[in-house]
Amino acid sequence: MSENAIISLRNISVDFDDERVLKSINLDIMDKEFITFLGPSGCGKTTTLRIIGGFVDPCEGDVFFEGKRINGLPPHKRHVNTVFQRYALFPHLNVYENIEFGLKISKLPERERRQRVMEALELVNLKGYERRGIHQLSGGQQQRVAIARAIVNQPKVLLLDEPLGALDLKLRKDMQVELKRIQQSLEITFIYVTHDQEEALTMSDRVVVMKDGNILQIGTPQDIYNEPTNAFVADFIGESNIIDGIMHKDFQVEFANDFFECVDKGFTPMERVQVVIRPEDLKIVSPEGAKITGVVESVIFKGVHYEIMVETLGYRWMIHNTQYVEPGTLIGMSVTPEDIHIMHRMEEEP
Amino acid sequence: MKKWYAKTYVSLVMIFLYVPIAVLILFSFNASKSRAVWAGFSLKWYRELFHNELILTSLYNTMVVALVASVVATILGTAAALGIYSMKRKWFRSAIMNVTYMPITNPEIVMGVSLLLLFVFMSEKMHLPLELGLGTLIIAHVTFCTPYVILNVLPKLRQIDKFIYEAAMDLGCSPTQAFLKVIIPEIAPGVFAGFIMALTYSVDDFIISYFVSSASSATLPVTIGAMVRKRISPEINALSAIVFVVVLAVLLIYNFISIRHEKQIQKGGGSFR
Repeated sequence: MSENAIISLRNISVDFDDERVLKSINLDIMDKEFITFLGPSGCGKTTTLRIIGGFVDPCEGDVFFEGKRINGLPPHKRHVNTVFQRYALFPHLNVYENIEFGLKISKLPERERRQRVMEALELVNLKGYERRGIHQLSGGQQQRVAIARAIVNQPKVLLLDEPLGALDLKLRKDMQVELKRIQQSLEITFIYVTHDQEEALTMSDRVVVMKDGNILQIGTPQDIYNEPTNAFVADFIGESNIIDGIMHKDFQVEFANDFFECVDKGFTPMERVQVVIRPEDLKIVSPEGAKITGVVESVIFKGVHYEIMVETLGYRWMIHNTQYVEPGTLIGMSVTPEDIHIMHRMEEEP
Repeated sequence: MKKWYAKTYVSLVMIFLYVPIAVLILFSFNASKSRAVWAGFSLKWYRELFHNELILTSLYNTMVVALVASVVATILGTAAALGIYSMKRKWFRSAIMNVTYMPITNPEIVMGVSLLLLFVFMSEKMHLPLELGLGTLIIAHVTFCTPYVILNVLPKLRQIDKFIYEAAMDLGCSPTQAFLKVIIPEIAPGVFAGFIMALTYSVDDFIISYFVSSASSATLPVTIGAMVRKRISPEINALSAIVFVVVLAVLLIYNFISIRHEKQIQKGGGSFR
């Protein structure tokens, strides 16, 4: 177990109705970090969060909180608080009473309760809303109340289950910044669950990419984006060109009917691999002498760049480029060795 | 044009519903015994009513039975609704729901006769202390009132966001605390509506009470039924007028409370705490 880990999951497995939704997961969550569980629906990210919250008991494995095993400890005895997906605010209580709820349960004196509720309200920018009813608030405001209600208890770890899912795009962007600010000012651990890769990359110190009950990769947003460990991660995080290739030997790969120099090694000779190239890493060059050539099929303006689809023999490439190219033009493409990412084929993974 | 049409329609319905009651109230103040001739204003029948031992005893019986039965039915019905709500197997839940509807859909006469047979069987063959009286009345009333409570509480439970229970535990509540502090306030309007309905049906009931009561434990509707068979006394008019006014008052208070509750929910905070 790592020294600074506040929460450690060891060989955690969970079955729902004979279906294994988590497959022997191992994870250390550091103190004061913003960690995000990222993956498509059904990947087990919410189940993992609920195990930490105490709402789901793992069928196998152990959960440690500050070094102590907490399997079977009920939610109300854990030093974590949750911001629920649809907020789960108490409709019969007003804003103030909602936030005060946890403090009242722990029998804090009235004066201290008031002070802490006011601080929490200030932190989420909802001063003056104390007497409002829950139904009078907008989605974004309800979201803030849910966050205040959780953090007012000064948990060591805050669990957030897709908290921005129900908000519109603009509000979501604002809240992302807001959440990061709150996390930094409170100096506590945030465990965040989302299926939105952009959200994960924006806020997190570390991202845990999950699929079908497995952890595929754990790393900083930069690691995950630049060095995905397999084609699924590459495809899920941003857009990618994924082409079948053959790794002839270390630093040499064959794809698109040609040989390319790359920076990867350690594959078995002649191993069939997947080659991942980000659309922004493909440069447009003149077709003479280019290793990959193709005809521009379509060009879509995307704001900061054009999305250019290029048809070659057997594959449609996607290029992000700031220069406009006329559809129908024959172009060449080049890519530097550092931008070629080699992955083991996914079928061979467990 | 359309407004005029709607107004006439509503007025006709109101006349149809309330003219008989208005006539009854009017004649309860009639000095003469006749129901056709107006002989001047008098409170004579009200005075006689309050000296009628039989009616006063019945009124007392009705109140005791209605209050005890509706409180018991409210507790039982709320517990049953919670149980039905958390049932996992679908077929089992719908089976239980059908059993729940039974006392409502069953003709009252069948309920009355079967309860009577049950009580007689139990007291004579099994020597249980179930002589017909207030006890049997209360049991019978609980039987037909409980479904109304269940049917009022279940929709409230379905409306609840399932995660608020988890949220309460997340904020430090034990399961019991979470239930008392979060679930109960949420379903309180349904529980209250169920209680009022149980109370109303209990006060109202004639047929089932007729079978399961004894002469000394007769409720108001049973007593009135018996009196009317002999001769219709203007005292009955007075009594009916009082019952009508009381029921009206209860309904008005209930509506007032629910409107205030709704407003409070909109404004924030509720009254059921």
